[in-house]
Amino acid sequence: MGSILIVAEIQNGKVREASFELASIAQRVASTSGREVHGLVYGQGVDAQAEAFAKKGGGTVHVVDSELVAHHNAEAANIVIKAAIEASGADLVLMSNTPTGWDVAPRTAASIDAGFVSDCFNVEAEGDQLVFHRRVFNGKLDARMTSAGGRVIATIQPGATGAFEGSTDGSVSKLDASIGELKTRFIEIKQAEAKGVDLTKAEVIVSGGRGVGAPEKFTEVIQPLAEVLGGAMGASRPVVDAGWLPHAYQVGSSGQVVQPKLYIAAGISGAIQHLVGMKASNYIIAINKDPDAPIFEVANLGVVGDLFEVVPALTAAIQAAKG
Amino acid sequence: MKIMVCLKQVPHQDARLDIDASGTWIKEDNIKFEINSYDTYALEEALQVKDAGEAEVVVVSIGPDRVTQALRTALGMGADRAVHIKDPEADGSDALAIAKLLAAVAKEENPDLIYMGLMSEDGNFAAVAPMLAELVGMPHTTGAVKVERTNGSVTVDREIEGGANEVVELQTPCLIAVQSGLNQVRYASLKGIMAAKKKPLDVKSAADLGLSGQVGVAAAKLKIEKIALPVKGDTAEILEGSTDEIVSGLVNKIKELGLL
Repeated sequence: MGSILIVAEIQNGKVREASFELASIAQRVASTSGREVHGLVYGQGVDAQAEAFAKKGGGTVHVVDSELVAHHNAEAANIVIKAAIEASGADLVLMSNTPTGWDVAPRTAASIDAGFVSDCFNVEAEGDQLVFHRRVFNGKLDARMTSAGGRVIATIQPGATGAFEGSTDGSVSKLDASIGELKTRFIEIKQAEAKGVDLTKAEVIVSGGRGVGAPEKFTEVIQPLAEVLGGAMGASRPVVDAGWLPHAYQVGSSGQVVQPKLYIAAGISGAIQHLVGMKASNYIIAINKDPDAPIFEVANLGVVGDLFEVVPALTAAIQAAKG
Repeated sequence: MKIMVCLKQVPHQDARLDIDASGTWIKEDNIKFEINSYDTYALEEALQVKDAGEAEVVVVSIGPDRVTQALRTALGMGADRAVHIKDPEADGSDALAIAKLLAAVAKEENPDLIYMGLMSEDGNFAAVAPMLAELVGMPHTTGAVKVERTNGSVTVDREIEGGANEVVELQTPCLIAVQSGLNQVRYASLKGIMAAKKKPLDVKSAADLGLSGQVGVAAAKLKIEKIALPVKGDTAEILEGSTDEIVSGLVNKIKELGLL
C-alpha cells in the first residue's frame, strides 16, 4: 500500500491553515488504512516552515527550496510534486482546492496517469477502498466516489474539516527536483482595489443572487430592504458576471468575506464560493423558491418562496415598524 | 492564428435534478441543455480575437446527438468550424479520458491557443483544462479574468483569493481556462444562425482519434457510486404560512437581533 502525500501550500510566508486540514485527513486515513504520511513543502526559504509542518501532522516532510517556486508557477510546481510523489511512494496525494491547487493538481494527475477528484469535503478509507465525498451541480447534490485502484490525486475543500490538532515527530529532508526551462512566468500579484463598498463593516447585508433576475430589480427590490435596515447591498457571483452590479458588491471567495450581524440572501442558491464568503455571519436568513437550495444548509431561518412577494412586503413591514 | 475552444453541453442551470435509476447521475431525458456557462466566456474571448481580424475559431465538444445543437449555437455566434466527438464508447468518460479525446483533436488542429472554461457546472471537477494542457505539452493557467496577447506570449490575470489577481505570462502555444465574467457573452445573430448551417461540422469517434478502449466508463479511474440530495443536518428553521405570517416572523426575528 502506498503512502499518503500531503502537498502543503505556502501563503504569506507560512504553511496555510488549509494544509493543516489536509494533515488532519491524511493522519486519519493513514491510521485507518495502515499507510504512512509524507508531506511536501516547497517554496523559497521554507526550511522553518517544513519543520513546523513536520511537527503538526505533516509526516515525513520533503522540502524543495528553489527560487523557481518562490511564487506560484503551475509548471514548476508540477515537476516538484511529481518528484515528491516518487520519493514518498504515495498512492494518495492531497492538495487543497485553492487557486494554487486547482491550477496544478489536475495537470499532475494527467502527467502520472493517476485518478483525479476535486473539492472533496471528506476522504475515508473503507477496507481496501478509498472513498471521496464531494458535491456536484454547484452544491446541490452529494456524490460518493470510489477509486478502482491505482494512484489518486485529490483536492480538498478548504474549511471542510478542522486543522490537525496533535503534535507529531516527522523528519525533514531536502528533495531535489530539477525544474529546468519553463514556459510559464510569474509576473506579479495585483491586490484587490480599494472598494467603493466595504461590506466587511456593514452590520446588515442584504444580498441578491441570480434569482433577482435583472439589474433594475436590485434597485427596486433589494436596495430598499438594505436601506430600511440601515445596511448594505451585496451580490453573488453570477450577478457580477452578468454585469448587473460591479465586483465591489460581490460576496464570496473571490469577492468580500463578511460576517455581519444579519445576512439576508434573496434568490441565491448557495454555491460553495458564495457560502465561503458569508457563512460566518451571526444570523442568516435565506429566501429562495427552491427548497433544496444549498443556501438553506447555512441559514438559520429560511423562507421557501418568491422573493418578489416576500422582500417588498418585509421592507414595508419594517418601515411601518419604525413608524 | 488558430484558436481551439472546448465546450461542454450541460443540463440547464435551472433544470430539475432527478436522480436516475442507477442512482449515479441525474435523469437526462426531458431536461433542457445549454453550453456550460464558463465555456461561453471562453468562446466569447476567442470570438473577440477573431473580430480583431486575426483568427480561425474551431469549437470542439464531446457527447451524444444533442451536442450538435450546442455546436451550431457556437457556429452561429461566429465560430468557423466545429468538431463533434460523438461515440457511445466515450459515455461516462472521466476527465482524463475527455482530455485525451480533446488532445487527439488538438494534435490534428495544432492550435496557437486553446480556450475553455475553468469548470463545468454539472461535475464541477475543474480538471480537464490543466490535464489537456499537460497532454499536449502546453503551458496553461486557470481562472483568467483578463488576457493580453503579445508576440509569442500571452499575459493573463488570473483570479486568486480575496479579490486579488495573479499575473502570469505563458509562451504560446498555450491553454487558458477562463473564469466566469471574463467578458460579456454575445448572442448569435439571426444572420449568424443562418450562416451556421453551412459551416463545417465534423463528427469523430474514439476510434478515429486512436483512443478506442481508452475512454468511457470502463477506463474511468474513479467512479461515482452514488448521487443524493445532501443529508439535511443542522438546517434552517423554515417559516411557513401566508406572506403576512412569514413577514411577521421575519420582523420578530429582526427585532430579536436588536436591529429594529
